[in-house]
Amino acid sequence: MLIAALSLMLAAAVLAPLAAGRLGRRTGYPLAAVFLITAGALLVGAPEVMAGGVVEVSLPWVPELGVELTLRLNGLALLFAMLVLGVGALIMSYAPQYLSEDYEHARLYGILTLFAAGMLGLVLAGDVVLLLVMWELTTLCSFLLVGGRGTDGARPATQALVVTGAGGLALLGAVVLLAVGTGSTDVATILATAPQALSARELTIVGALVVLAAFTKSAQLPFHFWLPGAMVAITPVSAYLHAATLVKGGIYLLLLFSPLFAENPVWHLTLMAVGLTTMLFGAFQALLQHDLKALLAYSTVSQLGFMVALVGVGTAASLAAATLLVAAHALFKATLFMLVGIIDHEAGSRDIRRIGGLWRAMPVTAGLTALAAMSMAGIPPLVGFVAKEEAFYAFLGTSQATWTADTAVSGALAAGLAVVGAALTFAYSARIIVGAFAGPLVQTNLYEPKAAFLAPAAVPAILGLVLGLVPFVLNGIVDRAVVDTGFTATEAGLALWHGFSAALGLSATAIGLGILIHLRRNRPAILAEAVAPAMLGPILFDRAWSALLGFGARVGRGAHALTTAPHLGGILVVLLGLAGAGALTISDLAPMRPGTAQPADWVVLAVLLPAVLALARAGDGMAALVLAGTVGLVIAAWLMVLGAPDVALTLLLVEVLTVVVAAPVLARLPDRRGDRTGRRALVGSGLAGLLAGAVVLVMTGRRERSAAAEYYLAEALPATGGSNVVNTILVDFRGLDTLGEIVVLAAAALGLLSVAGRRAASGWQPGRAGTLGAGELLVLRVGALVVLPLTAAAALVLFLRGHDQPGGGFIAGLLAGSALAVARMSGIEVRLPSVPVLVSTGLLLALAAAGIGLVWGGSLLEPIKVSLPLVGEVSTSLLFDLGVVVVVVGLVQAALANLAGDSGRAGPPAAAAPLAARTAVPARSGPPAVTEVAP
Amino acid sequence: MTPNLTLAIVAGVLFAAGVYLLLARSITRALLGIVLLSNGANVLLLVAAGPAGEAAFVGQTPPAGMTDPLPQALALTAIVITLGMTAFILAMAHRSWQLSRTDIVADDVEDLRLVELAVRDAVPHPDDEATSRRTPDDDAAHDEVRG
Repeated sequence: MLIAALSLMLAAAVLAPLAAGRLGRRTGYPLAAVFLITAGALLVGAPEVMAGGVVEVSLPWVPELGVELTLRLNGLALLFAMLVLGVGALIMSYAPQYLSEDYEHARLYGILTLFAAGMLGLVLAGDVVLLLVMWELTTLCSFLLVGGRGTDGARPATQALVVTGAGGLALLGAVVLLAVGTGSTDVATILATAPQALSARELTIVGALVVLAAFTKSAQLPFHFWLPGAMVAITPVSAYLHAATLVKGGIYLLLLFSPLFAENPVWHLTLMAVGLTTMLFGAFQALLQHDLKALLAYSTVSQLGFMVALVGVGTAASLAAATLLVAAHALFKATLFMLVGIIDHEAGSRDIRRIGGLWRAMPVTAGLTALAAMSMAGIPPLVGFVAKEEAFYAFLGTSQATWTADTAVSGALAAGLAVVGAALTFAYSARIIVGAFAGPLVQTNLYEPKAAFLAPAAVPAILGLVLGLVPFVLNGIVDRAVVDTGFTATEAGLALWHGFSAALGLSATAIGLGILIHLRRNRPAILAEAVAPAMLGPILFDRAWSALLGFGARVGRGAHALTTAPHLGGILVVLLGLAGAGALTISDLAPMRPGTAQPADWVVLAVLLPAVLALARAGDGMAALVLAGTVGLVIAAWLMVLGAPDVALTLLLVEVLTVVVAAPVLARLPDRRGDRTGRRALVGSGLAGLLAGAVVLVMTGRRERSAAAEYYLAEALPATGGSNVVNTILVDFRGLDTLGEIVVLAAAALGLLSVAGRRAASGWQPGRAGTLGAGELLVLRVGALVVLPLTAAAALVLFLRGHDQPGGGFIAGLLAGSALAVARMSGIEVRLPSVPVLVSTGLLLALAAAGIGLVWGGSLLEPIKVSLPLVGEVSTSLLFDLGVVVVVVGLVQAALANLAGDSGRAGPPAAAAPLAARTAVPARSGPPAVTEVAP
Repeated sequence: MTPNLTLAIVAGVLFAAGVYLLLARSITRALLGIVLLSNGANVLLLVAAGPAGEAAFVGQTPPAGMTDPLPQALALTAIVITLGMTAFILAMAHRSWQLSRTDIVADDVEDLRLVELAVRDAVPHPDDEATSRRTPDDDAAHDEVRG
């Protein structure tokens, strides 16, 4: 039933925007019906709850963490759920009359219903994680509803989000501490076991976090300021979220967790001190307001303070008074908001300096407002009076609370402050009635709104009167709620008339004082001074907020750099810092092993050093490219000496291909002697070089072969049938890495296709470019005709023997690619499938090999040996390697076909120098440079 | 005895020159920087493998004299990946040449405006968009895309 109720609300939230497309503002009426049906569904469980039971349902949610989707209906939850759904239904039937035809109905109704679902989930949640999720959902909905209207709402909505969001984080902290401490996320379990499972200190931290969450949500000092700001929202939102329900979330949280802190004086004193201060501050502020809506907002702050203080007293009586006040407040405050909305709607203003005498034109509105305001002021026989009476009684009984045993908190002081607060409440209530309705009518053409507009406001106003007359009907639910907050059975015994008691005297005092204050209401200046210090909250918030944004802007400025250097510089600085930290922590190094040095090393150094330095200084792209190729070739030769033939072969071919592919691109680009990097880059790169050198000195030559190496050397032949250990690592042991690598290559090939843009009409051909004479071309072509078949054969051999001898898929693919490059240079056309076809074929071949291993071998990429006629035994790793070949060929083909040729038609005519002019300087044209290296 | 000094110098020089070139504005210089860095990294990998030895072919060389094959496999992979990156970066340089006849990464005036707006925490006004400055280069780029 609980699941059904919550699901119904969530479904309504999804369907509401759709319905709004057809029904427009009238969507509110069916939604009101849904709210009532949901309330009816929950009331099915009410008899069981009233009899002292609990309706509970639980679904698995995150079983790994023991988190369950538990919904629990007890007295406290039932009371809050009825307020959420009841007031919600009223607001939903009020909104259609209030909204204009062209409002964003879909958005409003969708979010409003989602909020209601979240609020319902919050009060029904029987699991702290669910509670947290619902808490945040209500925060988000509030943000969306406040910020929904144009730009006015942006700032208050952000304020509300930041403040209540911070509270949400505090709640998260409390939830984590409780869940870790007790090993459960179930609310009932936590309440039962936390006092034993958590240390007193941990429990105090949890208490502080819960208090922070509740104070932000329920707008207690110094976090109160978001609530008046949130009043930019439309009236239905203010009435529902910011008067009746959302802001009660904090009160609910305090009530829910109060059993944990029953014996903790800090908890009680904090709640009482902050609550009473907030009550007085809010009431003062309300007296100063001219805008009725702002007045009601501060009044809400004040009333919430009243409730927090009552929870703080911590006796059965005070919790009963708090729950009763929650209900009473929801009734009269929702009414007042709706009526102020009506006044605003009809009279065009809600500023009491601009309206007046409205009772002459709108007597029913005036009467209902008076009824609700009297309830707020605590005048008999309304329910507000009963609640306030109970509150005075509770404050007087503070000394009976268990936690005050050794603290001398005077109940009289609390009661005295409460009386002052009540008197101020009376005064601002009177201000509403007198300001809006008394005196001469200042406007003409005002009429009573139609009944459909007034009815939603009339229901709670009249209910306030009825409940005031027969308060004992609430005895049951208030008793159950008090039991749920950790007290054994009590007897609320609500009544309108308790006889001549101290509480009655306090009520009378409050009303008398209130009348006095009202009579002297034209002296607000004194009051303004009295409350000035409390305005520090919003000022501090604004300062902190803009400081935070400014800090973010400063941090972000670096990310807006226009060149790559600052971005890379950041990485460089971090790397150098890490290296420095590492250098400091190195204590003792293993001794250097002999035999690491080779005589060849000095030769390498002698060739490399000048080449690299010249490269760094080279202004000409082609020269730099040739130098880079030289560096690569020297390293390749040296790798051969080191005992890494496969790597050396690969590097050799890659260097050749790089030069072939890059030459035409670089040849076109202008001289770049002027483009020098700055001094800081010089320093940074120098440091990077020192770092690399230091790493080599520290981290190499100090150990024997690694355990991994021993494993591969021992297992390569038995496990894979291949004797080229490097190749078996590539295609067998670490085949998944290689699969990932060829995916990267395929992505590079396809990315290249899209970046390079349109393909040249017929590719780049030396004959056309005019750099080679007919004779030279002929020589090249004849040479190629001889070389190409040999190269192809060599590639095939290298591929086939790769598992046992130097070679393998990468090398074969690169060699085949080099053959393609030669063919291209000599103008011989080699027909190949398109690049996308090539790379995807290659990937599919590799995946097929992987899949065969999975199906027949039991694990991905496991080599399967197959006996073929003529060939003999073949491993599926050969198929995998074939995929590698095809992908590499695809990449080379993509680069050759797309980067080599561009006839220069593109671009602005002025910049497109005639081909002949550009190719006049032989040193910078492609082919000669290529021929230096390629053969 | 300073057996590793040469290797340290080789790696250091390759890294220094690589970083220096990488920090340049020109795409091709950055590309050459990446190539050098990659070479430096591969040298580092192979040197870290331990003492030089015979190639790791089972049955051809005594196991005791073989080099560590794992860093070789890693380096081989890295080299081919570098080829893919080289090709892709060349495509960018090529595109840049097609559009603006240079491979210098130019200041993006729109981006500059965004920086200023972000610092002022302001929302761009629709009117600003219409009057935003466009450089000749930008215009050329747009024409090129259309053409």
